[in-house]
Amino acid sequence: MTRRSALIAALVLIVGALAPAILAAADPAGVISNLGNRALEVLGKNVPPAQRVARFHELFRQDFDVPGIARFVLGRYWKSATTEQQDEFVKLFEDYIAIVYSSQLAAYSGETLKVTGSRADPEGAIVASEIIRPTGAPPVKVEWRLTDQHGTYKIRDVAVDGISMAVTQRSEFSSVIQRNGGQVQGLIAMLREKTGTAPGR
Amino acid sequence: MNLLPLRLVFSHMLLLLALMLPGCAARPSNSQPSVAEEEDFNDPLEDTNRAIFDFNQVVDRNVLVPVAKAYRTVLPDPVRDSVHDFLNNLRAPLNFVNDTLQGDFKRAGQTFARFTLNSTVGVGGLFDVAGRWGQLPYHEQDLGVTLGVWGVPDGPYVVIPILGPSNPRDLGGQVAEGFADPWNILVTGNPWTLYWIPYVRGGVSGIDQRSRYIETLADIERTSLDYYATIRSLYRQRRAALIRGERENLPPPASFSRIDNPAAIVAGTNLAPRPALVSEAPNLSEVRW
Repeated sequence: MTRRSALIAALVLIVGALAPAILAAADPAGVISNLGNRALEVLGKNVPPAQRVARFHELFRQDFDVPGIARFVLGRYWKSATTEQQDEFVKLFEDYIAIVYSSQLAAYSGETLKVTGSRADPEGAIVASEIIRPTGAPPVKVEWRLTDQHGTYKIRDVAVDGISMAVTQRSEFSSVIQRNGGQVQGLIAMLREKTGTAPGR
Repeated sequence: MNLLPLRLVFSHMLLLLALMLPGCAARPSNSQPSVAEEEDFNDPLEDTNRAIFDFNQVVDRNVLVPVAKAYRTVLPDPVRDSVHDFLNNLRAPLNFVNDTLQGDFKRAGQTFARFTLNSTVGVGGLFDVAGRWGQLPYHEQDLGVTLGVWGVPDGPYVVIPILGPSNPRDLGGQVAEGFADPWNILVTGNPWTLYWIPYVRGGVSGIDQRSRYIETLADIERTSLDYYATIRSLYRQRRAALIRGERENLPPPASFSRIDNPAAIVAGTNLAPRPALVSEAPNLSEVRW
């Protein structure tokens, strides 16, 4: 009896200590509100650009299903790419997204992200949220699609006004590839240029 | 996000454009159903569209952006807000008809209430009292959306000189609205005294729209690999979302498991009962994907 209650007490303590992290990863709404809190504090206006990009990388890797998104945005060309091309693409894609969105987020100051609800989705969950603006302008409604990956939720897509980031990116990338004669290498070359990456990194 | 920053409602100009593009409306939209694996941009006129897009970019850089910047610098926020609210209020009759034609009586009622409130308490529409204090936000609406709700396909993507991204369905809707607009009808009875009013309205509306997206569009252009393709995707997704009526929602999950396009998603969801959505589409002024 006492041993059992001691065990329970220990469990409660351990769970209590780990709870925020575990809950955040196991609860899709928690992932988003957690991300919102961290994003708005580490990506603010006063952060130097280089540091902002580095921090964005960290958040992106932690909370987003980067390989899944990379695969999706390459669409049918994922299969036609070689393994080396796929690996390089995933890296370049992450760098590219970090550059694009960290500069977007730099414009934010004083905004807060509020989770307004969540619902089930075939592969995980969809979390609805609002970016509350200090100017009193109408809040921006943002929806997140998360996939359940062995009990951990990872972000797959973000949408504002029915415009999906993943769909937009895929549309642009496949246009680039098509205009390069269907060669994934053409896209990789452009991404290298945009991200300032030397070939064969 | 309204991706028609250059949406000028000159009925005469649109008529001219409609005459210039007789082939578009007749072209079937799903011309390549067999190419299932190919990303379907529905853009058979891409080369022409890109040329017009480039031309529009030159006009945008040299005329529209400088004018929009000057507009934003010279006029204080409240004045520009009033211009915006006034223009939105002028849209009310057409929006009401479109809400009704879509069978969305809840939103039709809201549009009616907004118009009544804003035209009276809001001093002829200068102050959006219904949106600010009445929990009755403005919603984007037009005949192209109505046709989409009815199942009319969008047709090939086209870039219109000055006006920007469109398709035969949306362009046709704009032309028809130009003729059906009660304010336009009101002034066409006096061709030599008031004929300029629709042009001024169209011009101011274009400047108002453009001034709201100066930084957003500049950022998208700077960071994208293919600006034309990005705008095309944004336009088509936005229109599809308006037709779905779930303006702030993600596209259906099907888009993740197979290669398809927003238009196909719309075609699929059109059959499902459309939930009436109350909330206004927030402007995508600082966020972009």
